[in-house]
Amino acid sequence: MLVACAATTACTVANSDSTGDAGEAGDSLRIVLDQEPPTLEPCEASLTSTGVVTRSNISEPLIERDPTTGELEPLLATAWEQVSDTEWRMDVRDDVSFHDGAAFTAEDAAFSIDRAVNNSALACNVDGYVFGDQELGLEVVDDTTFTITTETPDPILPLRLSFIEVVPRTTSTEAKVREPVGTGPYAVAAWDTGVSITLHRHEDYWGEAPSFSRVRYVWRTESSVRAAMIATDEADLATGLNPEDATPENSLPYPNNETTALRLDGREAPLDDIRVRRAIDLAIDRHGIVDALFDGQALPAAQLVPEGVVGHNADLTVGEADPDTARALVEEAAADGVPVDREITLIARNGQFPKVAETAEALQYQLSQVGLSVRIQMADTAAHLEYQLRPFPEDVGPVALLIMHGNQAGDAGFTTSQYLLSDGPQSTFGTPELDERIAEADQAADDDRQDAFAGVFAEQNESLAQYAYLAHMQGLLGISPRVSYEPNSATGDELRLADVRPER
Amino acid sequence: MLTFLRKRIISSAVPLVVVVFGVFLLARLTGDPTNLYLPVSATAEQRAEFAAANGFDQPIHVQLWDYLGQVLRFDFGVSLRTGQPAGDMVLAAFPATLQLAAVTMLIAIVGAVLLGSLAAYRPNSPADRSASFLSMTAASIPDFWFAIMGVLILGVGLEWLPTSGVDGGIEVWILPIATLLIRPFGVLVQVVRGAMVAALAAPYVKVARSKGASEPRVVFGHALRNASVPALTVAGDLTIGLVNGAVVVETIFGWPGIGKLMIDSILQRDFAVLQTAVLLTAVTIFVLNILIDVCYALLDNRVRQTVPA
Repeated sequence: MLVACAATTACTVANSDSTGDAGEAGDSLRIVLDQEPPTLEPCEASLTSTGVVTRSNISEPLIERDPTTGELEPLLATAWEQVSDTEWRMDVRDDVSFHDGAAFTAEDAAFSIDRAVNNSALACNVDGYVFGDQELGLEVVDDTTFTITTETPDPILPLRLSFIEVVPRTTSTEAKVREPVGTGPYAVAAWDTGVSITLHRHEDYWGEAPSFSRVRYVWRTESSVRAAMIATDEADLATGLNPEDATPENSLPYPNNETTALRLDGREAPLDDIRVRRAIDLAIDRHGIVDALFDGQALPAAQLVPEGVVGHNADLTVGEADPDTARALVEEAAADGVPVDREITLIARNGQFPKVAETAEALQYQLSQVGLSVRIQMADTAAHLEYQLRPFPEDVGPVALLIMHGNQAGDAGFTTSQYLLSDGPQSTFGTPELDERIAEADQAADDDRQDAFAGVFAEQNESLAQYAYLAHMQGLLGISPRVSYEPNSATGDELRLADVRPER
Repeated sequence: MLTFLRKRIISSAVPLVVVVFGVFLLARLTGDPTNLYLPVSATAEQRAEFAAANGFDQPIHVQLWDYLGQVLRFDFGVSLRTGQPAGDMVLAAFPATLQLAAVTMLIAIVGAVLLGSLAAYRPNSPADRSASFLSMTAASIPDFWFAIMGVLILGVGLEWLPTSGVDGGIEVWILPIATLLIRPFGVLVQVVRGAMVAALAAPYVKVARSKGASEPRVVFGHALRNASVPALTVAGDLTIGLVNGAVVVETIFGWPGIGKLMIDSILQRDFAVLQTAVLLTAVTIFVLNILIDVCYALLDNRVRQTVPA
């Protein structure tokens, strides 16, 4: 067959197109992802694998958050105003068209919000991650104006709206759309399932035309293969390189707003004793783990959100590991009858970040050095989620769950509601006092909001110690000399094609 | 022959049914897929709706019964992950894996027959030792490592081949096939060599030579026919292994086949796609087994008479 193939060039692989795997360079941008998006549905854009392709490329939000400054900027909206505690008015552009030629109006904007937030049958991910269980009232005033009403005051509603991608009012409300129509600079040209996704430039785009007329995404699971594709000029950009595959020539590091930590289940002995939780915090050698396992491509962490997120507390600093004090705390707890010899299960997820298994082993060793007994359990995503989300599994003993939390919204409210509230979907315990502080911080705005959430993070470390933090992680973007792009904290979730230009 | 065929079909169908039932039940033991597909704030009602929409709220025997009914109507359900019909996804991915496995096996069999026969023709000669060393090495190399080395040396270092991908000419086939080929080729060379050494020492070979038959006719006409029976059995098993062994190749090289689809379906608890992929693979292996048995019986009359009832 290979001989015949060579002679006739009839070597097409089944289930593939014939447009050239990486595409011709020329006027094309070639991107290799670490996985195929499950869907390009805009209301699922808060999922990294979908958002990296869809957000601000195929579809666009009304408001966009600048990942560097944190400022909100108008995109499809031209202005917004808080009319009362619970009502907002939004004005939208009148010169925008969808890929199918239909004109964009306020009705489309209101429809998109309603579809993503109020439609429980559709169960959009953006609803859960960004809006929780709140419902929004929407009223279209005219073609360029509509109002939004919230059930309770929501000072960061515009920030939440930056996660809603706009779709035409004709989009299905019964089922998610795999290949959406949007207003973005690129439209879906073809999705060759399992092989590639091709976008072409939307010629009637309302904004500045992007540099490349065609974008082709392929996906390779192995980081080393993605790096190789950059080296051989098969790809211009490669997401999620591992440190060992990255060099200064083929990649750019960027802070990706992800923070790794151990979540300690405070409902089970010995983790229900704060001395034991503090001992775990003191036992961890964060600097050693970052240097030895993350190649220095991370910052030791003392809280769940990195600098740049509203609510980050600059006064919380990372000290050196103190195994002697940790051991003394464990012994003190043991003297009071706490069963410190009870085995703790450290659960980590395969592929969560580079060297995750080695990190778990390092943690196991460091905790064993202070008198705790730890066994490691590696899990896949689905199994890990069972431990991460309520309702938590019963009768599984004390669990230290290795989590990685990404706050792409840039506001601590999205972190605390999930991880610190007593009944937060990803929190094992809390206190009424901290819940109250979180609720107050949620209602605050501007500097008051920053100070209130900074206080919440300090209080969590002081009074609860549910989390023993590891590091604020960094991403590595593979990039070829053919193109110029400056990655930012949102790059992992929203790779804006319009920001990519020819030649570095 | 028809009786033989009927008995083989019945005996081969049992594992087929067991696999289909087993995958259905084991998939459901891996846990609830709800967390993967619903937002973190999903209410109890939303979770109940999701479970009801996908039949997860039913007792497992009811789910199994419904599934079998669907399969008989050629309705394989919808992927939780992509929303596409599971049958379409699997049918789109399967040919790419079959292509890879078929070409690989063809090369492995032809190469192994030539190298194995050459080695067996002069036992313990330098040629025999070289062939044995090569085949043992090939059978022992981890395919994952081999693939990555291939990418680094032939793709990045020498720039002779693309690193991965499926669009293009012959060049896109070379690394995936080489990776998939090494183990079956190594094993088959050993099997062919062993069988040929025994066959070339048999009395009928001496008779053929005494009657003046040419050496190629002796080796490839007389000895190989008898040596091919064990080789065929091993080749069949290796082919079956290739369909599943393609996972590594498909993952590394971005080959859009069923192996990668299966792994993704397992990780994403995408039951409909997983069940359909396993069903199609099991049916293919079932057919392949029957074909191997028929070839085996054609080559050796004794097989037809000793088949268990």
